[in-house]
Amino acid sequence: MENLDYARLQMAFTLGFHIIFACIGMVMPFFMVVSHHKWLKTRNPVYLKLTKAWLKGVAIFFVTGAVSGTALSFELGMLWPEFMKHAGPIIGMPFSLEGAAFFVEAIALGFYLYGWNKLPEKFHWFTGVIIGISGVLSGILVVAANGWMNAPSGFEYINGEFTNVDPVQAFLNPAWFSQALHMTLAAFVATSFGVAGIHAFQILRGKSVEVHKSAFKIAISFGAIAALLQPISGDISAKDVAERQPAKLAAMEAHFETEEGAPLFLGGIVDEENKEVNYKIEIPNALSFLAFGDFDAEVKGLNEFPDDEIPPVAIVHYAFQVMVGIGTLLALAGLLFFISLKKKSWMDNKKYWWFFMLLAPLGFLALEAGWVVTEVGRQPWIIYQIMRTSDAVTPMPGMKFSFFMYVAVYILLAITVTWLMQRQIKALNTQKD
Amino acid sequence: MLYVVLFFLLFSLLLYVLLGGADFGAGIVELFSSRENKKVNRDTIYRVMGPIWEANHIWLIILIVILWIAFPVYFNIIIIYLHVPLTLVLLGITMRGVSFVFRHYDAFQDKSQLIYNGLFRFSSFVTPIFLGMCFAALVGGELIVTEDYTNYGFYDLFMQPWFNGFSILMGLFYASLCAFLASTLLIGESEGDIRNMYIRKSKISTGILVLLGFVLIAYGFFNEIAFIRDFVTNPISIVCIILSGILLFPLWKFIRAGRRILSRYFAGLQVVLVLFAALVAHFPYVIITSEEEISLLENISPDSVIMVLGISLLIGGGVILPGLFHLMKSFKMIKIFDRDEQQFQK
Ligand code: HDD
Ligand code: HEM
Ligand code: HEM
Repeated sequence: MENLDYARLQMAFTLGFHIIFACIGMVMPFFMVVSHHKWLKTRNPVYLKLTKAWLKGVAIFFVTGAVSGTALSFELGMLWPEFMKHAGPIIGMPFSLEGAAFFVEAIALGFYLYGWNKLPEKFHWFTGVIIGISGVLSGILVVAANGWMNAPSGFEYINGEFTNVDPVQAFLNPAWFSQALHMTLAAFVATSFGVAGIHAFQILRGKSVEVHKSAFKIAISFGAIAALLQPISGDISAKDVAERQPAKLAAMEAHFETEEGAPLFLGGIVDEENKEVNYKIEIPNALSFLAFGDFDAEVKGLNEFPDDEIPPVAIVHYAFQVMVGIGTLLALAGLLFFISLKKKSWMDNKKYWWFFMLLAPLGFLALEAGWVVTEVGRQPWIIYQIMRTSDAVTPMPGMKFSFFMYVAVYILLAITVTWLMQRQIKALNTQKD
Repeated sequence: MLYVVLFFLLFSLLLYVLLGGADFGAGIVELFSSRENKKVNRDTIYRVMGPIWEANHIWLIILIVILWIAFPVYFNIIIIYLHVPLTLVLLGITMRGVSFVFRHYDAFQDKSQLIYNGLFRFSSFVTPIFLGMCFAALVGGELIVTEDYTNYGFYDLFMQPWFNGFSILMGLFYASLCAFLASTLLIGESEGDIRNMYIRKSKISTGILVLLGFVLIAYGFFNEIAFIRDFVTNPISIVCIILSGILLFPLWKFIRAGRRILSRYFAGLQVVLVLFAALVAHFPYVIITSEEEISLLENISPDSVIMVLGISLLIGGGVILPGLFHLMKSFKMIKIFDRDEQQFQK
């Protein structure tokens, strides 16, 4: 493999790592403040115990998110110097605001972690709320920067020069809203189902059932709502892609031929050489409708594009199927949870907890798959139809070593964090009230 | 607006050097302590720096973001040619950050603490060295900025500029600066024996710092490093350096007497003076390659970008600085003001 490939792999790997911790750091504070609020209201010690356990979790995830994010803000330049040289100033606005949001988050975290029994109770609780809000804000801001890569705007591109730069318009690029909405929901879905699944597992083991049931309810309530909204937001995203990035849409759907009234493919094995999809299930006219809201609309196929402007089809198609499949499943699970609030007896059934336990990793899987769709689907462009990824990469040779170093360090880190979490749960289970 | 941006650039540089430096320094002090003192130090820095340890390091992010937004050409050179040492810095920051949190938030306190502690101390020590080396590479006059990468070897382009005698000295200099800042800060946060320990550490690190400073300047001078040459021939920087030399005496006195606030301010002042001296001598030519001196103010981003960045920074600063101040006040500053005043009244 070439330097470029290793640089891409490193970018994908480090972002894929960061996003997990960033999402947890973004959403866990909300669980924490809900539990904290319940403690303040009911003075039921279960909630205090839970809040403190989650708080330690937040601290551990937060630092992992923060250090991997710090690495990322250098990495964007270290791997893609040509990109940052031109794009940096244009998409600077969301990044500088993001810096401010991190700061607010870090300050609030300082208050919250160290403020127990020192600050007035209400103010202390409120700093927890600020952690959550500023976390979500920073997520939205970075995704807006990513939106710009998909839908470049706010400048004029004349003879290879970027002129007339308007950072505000670049920030509010056509893709920012749909992406930020979808991403924020995804963060809630992934984290909530993840946390809920872990607590479901503890309930199955019969350990400190009362605490874990409260925890489960708080976590899953967020996730269930988000999971029900996710397909709607996904549809908005898809319509957006259809309009602006036809090649990505065609790759997502593995559509090689241009068609009117295009069918939607479910499953199937992509044969990139012969440009066809085998063993698929076809739903007539569905794609045209989903993409353009019209059963007979024309959907452009990949054959319309020059060979060097086509993204890797198979990966994008499979990743998209995985995301949508999981999205559908989780939306159903959300529905199931709301029904179980009425039918209390379901919660006595072991299968109920098994089900939610098994769902735990799926949200994160969908999250990673979704990013693969967005990022790989944009290839070969780093800035859509303006700059190619291969023109942006660093001239420094030896990216191979850098890549393997990151993989080694992050895997070690991931193992350690998992181990630490397991110890937190153990402590929670053995603690006396 | 350019001035607003420049102000925030320098401001975050200063705060990163000071606050981030004190953070690293606390780990260095711990590394060079006896076994009992290591434990004491661990608890002290958790209490003192804990609430802002996270905020301290965001200054670095702000710095880098301002660079890439407003000074893209500069950022481009830094990020391409310092790839290797920056990777080492990042590795160090990662290890330091996680080990600090892991050692305090691990649910059980057992043998694994040994690993966290070791990692924390070691990375606190090497990271500032690499940071110093990065800075030395920028001003050391060995950078080769070129379009024609195939003409040069990997070593010439990506190693030599940051891996040489000058940069190693600079790295050690910054590490001892960190130790000096941390121990001086911690004097004010401890009592009795522990305080005496920090006073001792502070004296030692001041000594090392001054010594390394001289060696660094002498080395640079005799090896014709333009940055040092300009530094010692510019009248204003000479005045600053002499001033900081003179101010060492009151600083020593305050440290000895255990004056919390004053020794802190004087320690900070030392850093400000040295940075200012370096700036006066060289601003805006902060990158010195083997061929030329590159100005920060050339090739800046278009006005529209600077404008929006300036406004964002003003708004952000308006939200953050009061918050940060309040945070520091709530957890320690206020307490210390009070104590100092009580001493004063006595
Ligand atoms: C829990 C995670 C999760 C779930 C359940 C879904 N998604 Fe998703 N999706 C993401 C997580 C995600 C993501 C990782 O967050 C992405 C990547 C970029 C982005 O903005 O969101 C994404 C991107 C993304 C895109 C590409 C946007 C672009 O390239 O600009 C489309 C078209 C969809 N999604 C559509 C859907 C549909 C129709 C779903 C139906 C249920 C769905 N997603 C569920
Ligand atoms: C955190 C979630 C994200 C994940 C998992 C992710 C994933 C990926 C993947 C898989 C690639 C490699 C694509 C390829 O080369 O085939 C990539 C490339 C890249 N991503 Fe993302 N991405 C994420 C968010 C972002 C954001 C928010 C930005 C910028 C603001 C960004 C900037 C880039 C850049 C600059 C590249 C390299 C150029 C390219 O390959 O197009 N990514 N990312
Ligand atoms: C879609 C992708 C991303 C999302 C949703 C996201 C979100 C977040 C969140 C919520 C945090 C706060 C840390 C925590 O709570 O655990 C964080 C940290 C951070 N992120 Fe990301 N991020 C993304 C991609 C990126 C990229 C591409 C960069 C680099 C340019 C980046 C830079 C940072 C930095 C520097 C921090 C550390 C801030 C601190 O010290 O607190 N992030 N991210």
